[in-house]
Amino acid sequence: MTAKTDEYRTGVRPIWCPGCGNFGLLNALTKRVLPTLGIAKHKAFVVSGIGCSSRVPAYIDTYGFNTLHGRAVVIAQGAKLARPELTVIVIGGDGDFFSIGTGHFPHAVRRNLDITCIMVNNFVYSMTKGQTSPTTPHMETQKGLLPNEHFYPPVDSMLDMLSYSVSTQSSFIAQGLSTDVAHLDSLIREGISHKGFSFISVLTPCPTFHTEEVFDTIKRNASYLVEGEPVSLPESSKDKPWLHDPSDVTLALRLAEDPVMERAHLGVFFRGTEREF
Amino acid sequence: MSNTSRSLTIGIAGAGGDGVIIAGSFLQRLSALQGYYSQMPRYYGAQIRGGGSAVKLSLDADAASFPGDSLDVLVCFDWERYLEVKHELALTPETIVLCEQDPEGQIELPRGSFVLDFSGASRSVSGSTRGKNVVALAILTRITGLRGDLVKKAIEEDEELVLLKHNLPAFEAGEQLHSQSSIPALHLPPPANASPRVILSGNSATAQAALRAGIKAFFGYPITPASEIMKEVYQDLIYDSGVFLQAEDEIAAAGLTIGASVTGAKSLTATSGPGFDLMTEMMGLATISETPMVIVDVQRGGPSTGIPSGTEQSDLDHAIYGGHGDAPRTVLAPFDIEGCYRLTIESLNIAEGHQCVVILLSDQWLAQTLVATSDTFLRDDPVIWDRKRPGPEDAADYLRYKLTDDFISPMANVGDEGFSYRTSGLSHDEKGRPAFDSGVNQSMHDKRWRKLAPLAERDELVRLFGNESSSRGVIAWGSTAQAVLETIRDLGLYDKVKLAVPELVFPLPHAVRRFVESTEKLLVVEMNHSGQFYHYLRSRVDLPKDTRLVARAGSRPFSRQELGDPMLELAA
Repeated sequence: MTAKTDEYRTGVRPIWCPGCGNFGLLNALTKRVLPTLGIAKHKAFVVSGIGCSSRVPAYIDTYGFNTLHGRAVVIAQGAKLARPELTVIVIGGDGDFFSIGTGHFPHAVRRNLDITCIMVNNFVYSMTKGQTSPTTPHMETQKGLLPNEHFYPPVDSMLDMLSYSVSTQSSFIAQGLSTDVAHLDSLIREGISHKGFSFISVLTPCPTFHTEEVFDTIKRNASYLVEGEPVSLPESSKDKPWLHDPSDVTLALRLAEDPVMERAHLGVFFRGTEREF
Repeated sequence: MSNTSRSLTIGIAGAGGDGVIIAGSFLQRLSALQGYYSQMPRYYGAQIRGGGSAVKLSLDADAASFPGDSLDVLVCFDWERYLEVKHELALTPETIVLCEQDPEGQIELPRGSFVLDFSGASRSVSGSTRGKNVVALAILTRITGLRGDLVKKAIEEDEELVLLKHNLPAFEAGEQLHSQSSIPALHLPPPANASPRVILSGNSATAQAALRAGIKAFFGYPITPASEIMKEVYQDLIYDSGVFLQAEDEIAAAGLTIGASVTGAKSLTATSGPGFDLMTEMMGLATISETPMVIVDVQRGGPSTGIPSGTEQSDLDHAIYGGHGDAPRTVLAPFDIEGCYRLTIESLNIAEGHQCVVILLSDQWLAQTLVATSDTFLRDDPVIWDRKRPGPEDAADYLRYKLTDDFISPMANVGDEGFSYRTSGLSHDEKGRPAFDSGVNQSMHDKRWRKLAPLAERDELVRLFGNESSSRGVIAWGSTAQAVLETIRDLGLYDKVKLAVPELVFPLPHAVRRFVESTEKLLVVEMNHSGQFYHYLRSRVDLPKDTRLVARAGSRPFSRQELGDPMLELAA
C-alpha cells in the first residue's frame, strides 16, 4: 500500500507549524489515498482555497491549483465539467467552506458533480493568526469559558456544516480526524470512489491558536460510526438500539446535529444514490 | 428630416403588451427583404410587463445607419408611455404621427397627425384588439412605400413572419385603413445593390462569434442587458457536447470559466456592470495564474444597479484598472455590429494566445439594437489562435511559467500526461511554486506585462475615418463612435476632420498615440460622467493644449444635436 511512500510528494516543504493536523491530511492523501487508488498524477486535480490547509496542492505531485478564498469548489466544478475524466479533490478550511464560500456550497451539492470536498475544520482562522471562525465553539455552549488563544472570543453560535451538508442533500457525507490517518484514508477513498458530490469534514487540531484541551475534548467525546452497529445517541438503548445506516438521511441529520465538542461522530454519515455520468 | 433623404426614422411607442417590438421587428424584416438596411434600438423600462416600450427604426437604402434624432413617423399606442421616451423619439413639426387617441394636451401634435382606430380595425376582423400592432405595421409598409406584392409574398413564405400570416386579416384591415386615410407617403428611395442578408443584435453577434471561435464552455448568471448571450450559446453548446452552466452568481461564473479554461477548454462568460464587479477577484486570479479568460461586459448605466436597461460607457476604469495589485489585462470595445462579432473572436484569440484576461466592453445600445445588415462578416473565415503548448522537450522539468523570448510560456492543460504542475494565486516561480523572493516577483510581473506589449502594435484595431491629413481629430469608442461618425457625415465635415475609434483600448495602441500626436485640436467623446477614456488617454499620451472633452452620463445615446456644436467648433 505504501510501496513508494513519497511518489506523490513534491519537494516543496510545508509551511505548517509542528503538530499541525494538516500533516495528517497530507499523509493520508500522498501515502495512502492516491497510491491505493492508483490515480495517475496527471489525472488528479487538487484545488484549494486560502488558508493553512489550502497550501496542500503545492505539496502533492499532481495537477494543483491554490485559488481564492472560498472559491475552490467553483473552480473545481469548472474543471470537472470540462474534463470529466479528472479526479477532482477540493481542499479548504472552515473559513473557506463555511464563511466566505458558503454560498457556493448548496449549488455544488445540487449539481452533484463527481468531486470530493475535504473541509479541514480547525475551528479557527489560523493563517491570519487566530481570529474566530464560524465554527469556533461558542463559549456559552461550553462549561465555562472555552480556553483558547482567540484574541476576541466567539459571540455568535457555531455554524453546523455537517447538518448543512445533510439538509442540502450532499450525495456523500463523512467526518474524520486528521490524527486518525488510517480512518481518514478510508473515508477519502470512499468519497473519491463515490459517484457524486462528496463532503468530508476533517476535524483538525491547531496547536498554535487553540489550547490542546479543545482537540482533546473533541477526541475524548468522539465516537466511531460502524454500519449495522448501534450509534452513540441518547435515543439509542440496549433494548431499542439505533443501528447505523448511512442510507438513512434522517439519522444522518440527527448525528450531524450533535455538537462537535460534546459528541463528534466519525465515519460515513450518509451515502446517497450514486449518479451515472 | 424628409423623404428626400435616403433614410427614414420611424418610432413606435406603447405599453408592454402593445406589441411594439414585434411591429418594429416585422417592419425591419419586411424592409430588409426588399433591400433596406436598418438599426433598431430598443427602449424599455424596468417593468416586466406594462411599462413603456419603444423602438426607433432607421430604414436606410445604403447602410445600417445610426437612427436620426427626430422621427419621420411615430406610431403611438399610449401617450403616457410615450412621455417616458419622448427624448429618444423626438417629434418635429414635420413628423407624421399615427395614434389611437388624441394626447389631450399632454403633448402638442404636429400638423400631420392622424388619429386612427388600430384597435377597432383589429377587432372588426378578429374580434380582438391584439392585432392592433399588425394594423399599424401594415400602414407603415404603405407609408414607406414597400412593395405590397413582395410584402404579401414574404408573409406567405417567410417562417420568421408566421405570426403575420396568422394575422393576415388584421394586416389587410390596416392596408384598408391606410387607403381610406390621407396619410402622406414618405417613400424610401430604391435600395442599393447589396442587400442586407441578416438581422441580429450585438449580443447575438457576440454569441455567434464565440461559437464560431470554438468555445467549449460558457458560464453565466442572468443580468440585463447581457442575458441574451447566455440564451443564444446554450442550445449550440449542449448539442455539441460543450459545457453550459447558469452559475449561482457571477463570482462562480467567472471561477467556473477559469476552472474549465485550465483544462484546455476555450471558455467564456458574459455579464454587465454589477456582475463584472463580482468577477474582479477572478480577474486577478486568472491574471497571475495566466489562465486564458474572456469576460464580455455589456455596459449599462451605473453605479450599482443604476439604469439596467440604459446604455453607458462607464465601466472602462474598472475594465482597465479594476482589482488590487498590478494586473495587466486586455480591453477591447466594439463600436458596431460587425465589431461585436469580430472582436469576440479577437478576444478569445488574444486570451488563448497571450494567456491573459480579455474584457470585451460592449454596451446596451450595441448589444440590444437589432441591425439589418450585410452578412459578409459572418461568412468570413476567421483566424483562430491556439495556446502555446509544451512539446516533449518541455516534459523533463516542466516549467509552467517558463521565461521565454515572448514571455508566453508553453501551457499544459490540466489532465495532460507528463506535465503535472501546481499553480497558485500566490506569487510563484517558473515552476508555479509559491515564491516571495522580490527578484522572482519582479520577473513574473515583467513577464505578465511584457507578453501583452506586442498588442499595442495592432494598428488594425484602431479604426480611422475622415481626412487623414487633418489636424483636427476626434476620438470616440463604443457605440458612441457611431453617433460621432454620423454627425461628422451629416455636417459635411468628413473631409475636414478625422476620427479614431480604438477597438483595442488597453494596452493603448501605438496608432492612437500617433493619431493624437498628429492633431493640434482634439475632441474626446464618451458616455460617462467623468471622462474615463479621456483621463486614461491623458495618462499615456501628451494631449494637444486644445483638447476638449464631451462626456455625459448615459441612459440614452448621443444625439446629432448634442454633438453638432462641439464638432463644428472642432472643424472651425
